[in-house]
Amino acid sequence: MRIRVLGLGAVGLISMLGLMSAIGEAQSQTAAARTSAAATPKDAATTAKTPRTPWGDPDLQGTWDYRTITPLERARELGTREFYTEEEKKALETRAGRRMDAPPEEIRPGLNHAQYWTDPGRFVSDGYRTSLVVDPPDGRIPPLTAEGRARQARAPSRNNAVNASWLDRGDQERCITYGLPSASLPTLYNNNIQIVQAPGMAVIVHEMIHEARVVPLDGRPRLNDNVRAWIGDTRGHWEGDTLVVETTNFNGKHSYRGSTTGLHLVERYTRVGEKRLELRLTVSDPTTWEKPWTVLLPMRPTEGELIEYACHEHNLSMFNILEVARDAEKAGAKGQAPARGDAADDRQER
Amino acid sequence: MQRARVVLATVIVALSVSSVVRAHHSFAAEFDANKPVTLKGTVVKMDWVNPHTWIHLDVKNPDGTVTRWMIEGGTPNTLVRRGFTKASLQAGTEITIEGYQAKNGANRANGADMILPGGKRLFLGSSGTGAPKDAPDETGK
Repeated sequence: MRIRVLGLGAVGLISMLGLMSAIGEAQSQTAAARTSAAATPKDAATTAKTPRTPWGDPDLQGTWDYRTITPLERARELGTREFYTEEEKKALETRAGRRMDAPPEEIRPGLNHAQYWTDPGRFVSDGYRTSLVVDPPDGRIPPLTAEGRARQARAPSRNNAVNASWLDRGDQERCITYGLPSASLPTLYNNNIQIVQAPGMAVIVHEMIHEARVVPLDGRPRLNDNVRAWIGDTRGHWEGDTLVVETTNFNGKHSYRGSTTGLHLVERYTRVGEKRLELRLTVSDPTTWEKPWTVLLPMRPTEGELIEYACHEHNLSMFNILEVARDAEKAGAKGQAPARGDAADDRQER
Repeated sequence: MQRARVVLATVIVALSVSSVVRAHHSFAAEFDANKPVTLKGTVVKMDWVNPHTWIHLDVKNPDGTVTRWMIEGGTPNTLVRRGFTKASLQAGTEITIEGYQAKNGANRANGADMILPGGKRLFLGSSGTGAPKDAPDETGK
């Protein structure tokens, strides 16, 4: 794994040297890319006739799949270029397809999770998009505020050699929550949500760690500031055929890239085709990021239903992690080198 | 050439943001990437549980004794979607697992590849498994 990462890093460095000269060329192709990106999302209202529920609400129900290989943030080298060229798109999708389909001996060595374990998708989003972040225009999450940076510097770093308790491991490993907005963003697998509606109410179910978010649509006020939850408190309303879902009142125990109790999410779900739902997600937390940022994530209907992700009952991984740490301590006490973890390894699971 | 560079830049970005693209748990806290193992044995059973499936494998040692290993696999959700079902691996099947052993030397491993009887390597992609593919979202129709 490390070898692969180092290898890629070396390739990356070499390529970076050539990148700067490539950028000018790449940008000159931007206009062509935009032209070829005929499938750029059009104004939702003009492209789709949203079906209705029996009680007359726009019907967004179904199980929706949001796998994509488009990165959340755009490569810096691409600047404000929103779309890949046809050629780039084809190359990226071919590579992703090879990762999914090729015999293991061709895509290894160094991939510690077999490719059939994961389900990250094989297509660029919206046909050509270079990032899921569509605002700010550079396609990147805005910088942390000074306070956000200070907070991040104070945050404890995970040390696999300690693991004195399950409390030392993350919320996801403990099967508590995948957190927001993580549960709405593409990841290695379980990239699905289900939307269920009833009069005055909607439920958004996230497959990753089976969160069900109940969304009252009846105009009731949000909870007061003293009532807080892992996945916050959610209220919704309709703006035309768009379901607008606002989430506040996070308890701050789960942090997304340094977010706090001030995290504020606005999700806008719109049908933009018979087989397409679009999520426009705006994330803000004034003490964490310099400004809000917005993600555009198209979703497609998926075959079958969500599958329960009951994570806690058989979480042998937690048992094993703690056992490994205790054994490392014993080995250390005997003067042997303890099996040390390396946080850097954790970041290379994909 | 220019295309290759842009693609590479994107690939690098995809890797660099992987800290927020997490699998369920840390590989490094549990398994040792420097301890690759190849295990040939008989499937005892497969636990179809979240957050990870586990294959129980009886591995015969050179001295005739048998050691039972537990091999960590993907989530049931992912395996089913990629065409690997409960019927895919029956008790009694002779398989070979290539993976990485637990850091503390326990008889547990993170399974990377599986070689089925007849030498077929398991790669449950599109080829012949009938696994559903995700669709490009260009048209939305």
